[in-house]
Amino acid sequence: MERICAALEPQFPCRETVITTLSELIGDCNEGYPPAIYIYGHSGTGKTSLTKAFLQQCEQQQKVCTAQLNAVECYTTKILLENVLDALAQKEQQLGASPLRADNMLEFVEQLRRWHGSSARGFLIAIDNAERLRDMDANVLPVLLRLQQLTSLNLCVLLLSQLPFEKYYNKTGLSEVISLHLPQYNKAEALRILSSDFEQMRHQMLQQQQLTGDGPRLALCEQALTQEFYSNYLNLFLSVFYKACRDVPELRLTARKCFAIYMQPVLDGSVECTDVSRLWRHIAGPLRSALTQIYMRIEKPLGEPNIEDQSVRKLAQSLELPYYGKFLLIAAFLASHNSPKQDKRLFVKQHGKQRKRMQTVNARAKNAEKMSTTLGPKSFSIDRLLAIFYAILEEKVGLTCNLLSQISTLVHLKLLSFVSGEQNIMDGSAKLQCTVGLEFVIYIGKVVGFNVRQYLCDFM
Amino acid sequence: MDPTISVSKGCFVYKNGATRANKKTPSKRKRTEATSSLLGKEITTQPFYAAYTECWNQLHSHIVQLQMASNARTLEQLVEFVTGEGASNMDNTEMLPTAALLTGINQPDHLKQFETLTQRLHAEQAARVCVLQSRDCATLKAAVECMVYSLMDDQSELVDLEDADDERERDRKRLRRTQCTMKQLSAWYANNFGDVDKRRALVIILPDFECFNASVLQDFILILSAQTGRLPFVLVLGVATAMTAVHGTLPYHVSSKIKLRVFQTQPAPTGLNELLDQVLLSPKYAFHLSGKAFKFLTHIFLYYDFSIHGFIQGFKYCLMEHYFAGNAYALCTSYSQALGRIKQLTHDDMETIRRLPSFRPYVEQINDCKRIIAVLTDDDYLKKKLPQLLRDCLLHFMLFRCCLEFFTELVGDLPRCPLGKLRRELYVNCLNKPIQEQPEYKECWQMLSFMSKEEFVAKLAKCIDRTEQFLGEQIAPLELGEACADVMRAELQSLKKLLNDVELATMELPTPAIESTASTDARTLTDLKQVASRHELKAQLLQRSKQDKQQSTSEFARALNNILSHIETHLVLAHLRPLQHAPPLHELYVFSDISTVRRNIIGAPRAALHTALNNPHFYMQCKCCELQEQSQLVSTMPDLSVLYKLHLECGRMINLFDWLQAFRSVLRAGDDQEEVPQEQIDPQIQARFTRAVAELQFLGYIKMSKRKTDHATRLTW
Repeated sequence: MERICAALEPQFPCRETVITTLSELIGDCNEGYPPAIYIYGHSGTGKTSLTKAFLQQCEQQQKVCTAQLNAVECYTTKILLENVLDALAQKEQQLGASPLRADNMLEFVEQLRRWHGSSARGFLIAIDNAERLRDMDANVLPVLLRLQQLTSLNLCVLLLSQLPFEKYYNKTGLSEVISLHLPQYNKAEALRILSSDFEQMRHQMLQQQQLTGDGPRLALCEQALTQEFYSNYLNLFLSVFYKACRDVPELRLTARKCFAIYMQPVLDGSVECTDVSRLWRHIAGPLRSALTQIYMRIEKPLGEPNIEDQSVRKLAQSLELPYYGKFLLIAAFLASHNSPKQDKRLFVKQHGKQRKRMQTVNARAKNAEKMSTTLGPKSFSIDRLLAIFYAILEEKVGLTCNLLSQISTLVHLKLLSFVSGEQNIMDGSAKLQCTVGLEFVIYIGKVVGFNVRQYLCDFM
Repeated sequence: MDPTISVSKGCFVYKNGATRANKKTPSKRKRTEATSSLLGKEITTQPFYAAYTECWNQLHSHIVQLQMASNARTLEQLVEFVTGEGASNMDNTEMLPTAALLTGINQPDHLKQFETLTQRLHAEQAARVCVLQSRDCATLKAAVECMVYSLMDDQSELVDLEDADDERERDRKRLRRTQCTMKQLSAWYANNFGDVDKRRALVIILPDFECFNASVLQDFILILSAQTGRLPFVLVLGVATAMTAVHGTLPYHVSSKIKLRVFQTQPAPTGLNELLDQVLLSPKYAFHLSGKAFKFLTHIFLYYDFSIHGFIQGFKYCLMEHYFAGNAYALCTSYSQALGRIKQLTHDDMETIRRLPSFRPYVEQINDCKRIIAVLTDDDYLKKKLPQLLRDCLLHFMLFRCCLEFFTELVGDLPRCPLGKLRRELYVNCLNKPIQEQPEYKECWQMLSFMSKEEFVAKLAKCIDRTEQFLGEQIAPLELGEACADVMRAELQSLKKLLNDVELATMELPTPAIESTASTDARTLTDLKQVASRHELKAQLLQRSKQDKQQSTSEFARALNNILSHIETHLVLAHLRPLQHAPPLHELYVFSDISTVRRNIIGAPRAALHTALNNPHFYMQCKCCELQEQSQLVSTMPDLSVLYKLHLECGRMINLFDWLQAFRSVLRAGDDQEEVPQEQIDPQIQARFTRAVAELQFLGYIKMSKRKTDHATRLTW
């Protein structure tokens, strides 16, 4: 038990309490395991890696069979059960034996019971993303929680999830489990974890410089790269990022990426490595732009321009749609954001004069804040879409297959979406919705020379 | 003893030994079919068919070559990425290498591109490839099964691994859809590619990223990324819109699992322009599209679907239509081949040629009576004449193309591009109407004359260079190229001379003009006194201002005018003639029957249905319901059609009873029976009515209203 703790603690700084608790619970296979342990905490707090390392240690040091799997991969119960059996049996059985099969829970429990006389002293099963288990067959979660009782083996199920266990309660109830919470790292802890990277970073940087074969730079690099310098950098880094992201692996990746930029002026010799404020001025911009790309993982080949400048205008201009496709999109937007009552007024040339009644004026004043463009799109039928399309298009075009297939192309591109009646397009009851925003459509309109605002009742 | 004889009754299952034999036969049949065409011998042996296949094969291979070349760069990068990532992905990072290919909005077109990628990867033996379409991936289970199945069942490598064939055969037999899980896949991978030197990347291509169900896709990516440690997956996404679609679909916990690299392909309009410039407008081919047909096809592309494949098919259709018109059109090939084919022409073919619209002006310009008769009646005589005519035609098209090159360079980059800046726009403009009569042309000419000297000289020099280059590269290798090039070179030579004049010309006004101003002033005063009326005065002043202008024009302006008018008369008027003024028999080379093509390649379902219901005679060709006018109602028409026509007269809601009455009166009008009391309706008529209403509802024209009883709602407008 102590050996496990000793092996794990240097690997997982700031998690000492959790490791101790875990090893008290399942650290010794000669004692009885608790039936189930529920470990939860946000992403990037080390649930999975900690459990994995722990199980490995258990397996190496004691006669324990372990299995770790991800519930996302188990889209049927059968796969879940067979994966568990496979993982547990790896040590138990020699290669060449036929793979174990378990079509349902009963067979699974039977299979497990057969291992009574075997040499293994304990069984540990860890399941990641345990919240998925709720959506599987109704018996999966209850059985897993009581697996020890059902098999009468020394067996423990560890469930890992981001949700608290209260979210699992259902009508039939569940047996109690031991909950273990992994809190998010605070800033000091994050700093401590990130600075454990230092040796690796230093090694990497030096290697890089050696490869380029630049003598003075190498010397400069060696001299500048100290623990203090690095923690200075991390301080600056966390002051920008900690508010937005507490996912440690993500922070670590980004910190590694940005460090090269931070080092650049020092290596060039333009800034002293102790001049923190000037270094900050250099790094602030890149850090902020890195903040917008966190989690996105876009790799750019060298020498290509930054394509991340994605304003709506650029997006609308870069989207290549056929001419009528653009008009159909505009028509869909208009249909989505005008009420059908206004259609006649908007699109028919001689619509007559609108009488102004006190009532309508009042109503409009009251509804001033309820602009339909801000309320979100409403649904419309295909016939209405086509009617508006023909009204806003000056030239005459036939209603051909090519034109109609444009609608489905737009649906495929997720610019329009079906609200209802996707199955019965033929009887005219299918309803569509436009999913793009006002700004986007205005730019599209500019490309084809059409003023969209003019046809929106909000702007009349 | 017969194995089925037994004491008990029972079913006996035999494995069907025939399955393997069956499997082999279809492939054989396919091979034999491929050699012969769908058409019968009587068509394939005709000369026009030979000409057609030859022409199409040439065009097709050219197109394929062009597309390969233009896709090559992206493809190269992509292959490099895939192979590189597949090899390097040994460390256990759970990061899924992903390539996002921004393809453009026409998704079906891009399947082909992914096919070539697949072929390339197979050719390099770098990866196993699986193309997953969104229609196969409604659920996560289906997606994984489909992926595993197609990765393990990849047939393409069987060719070079003959010895392993039998083993694989057994493998495949054992493979069932439900068994295809990730576990199976990793076992299979360890079996086949377990060694380090045999490692292959497993490439999964999702050609239509936008169509995937978001939650399925997220789980799918999570699964793949969890497996990257064991199996070297590489994901390729075909993204039709923009990268925001990817980020919109994948939440952070998924997008942090992939390592994304973006690749950009050539946008479809650029691809089309390239295709048009290099293949359709190439002087290599004898076949041409008329301005209208050309515009029609590009119009479909630009206004409707952005589908290059669709464009090529449309073009092919035009080609077929052109050659199918008769054996005379077999002459639409290169000059020497046409000479050979003239001998094969029959009397009917000669008649076809005589009936061509441009043949008449040709006959009319012959002033010898005997020769006219000979041309019209004597086949042999006309056959003797034909080579010269064909040669003129071919030369005309070549010269047209050369001048187009010159002209494009000349007016393509003028401000606001009045005539259009692309070669295809100019081509259409020149072929449709006499270009010098268009206002845009005049605008262009004016702009050219306003240019500064340096600009103009540089521009014209560039034009001449471009044309000469074109002559050297494209025209010279052709059969009649030398003749064409000679004509063109002479033109360019004279242009160069004139350009030299322009270059040497000074900007100064001619000196005598300045001197004479004093005298003219004096003259003005004396002249003006003699004026009788105001009208006369105006006319005189106008004339004088004109004179002044002529006198005050500099040497440069005159030289400029000279060269511009030379260009106009010798290049534009002489060679860029519209189709009406093309030499005789140009119809053999130019396809212009646009209405047939339109009818056949653009479907108009609503219009067709309307015609069918409104005027059944159009399709049925029966004697009974011929209509004098469109709105006429005849009792002999089918019930459905009568009902349809009645419903056209109604508003949005249709009262069923009124409708029935109208229906009855129409039917009775034909019968001339005695009056039946209003209330009683013949059950037969009512049944016919009900049935027709049901049919109309089935066709989607009406719907029974739920709000108002006994009313139907019209669904069309």
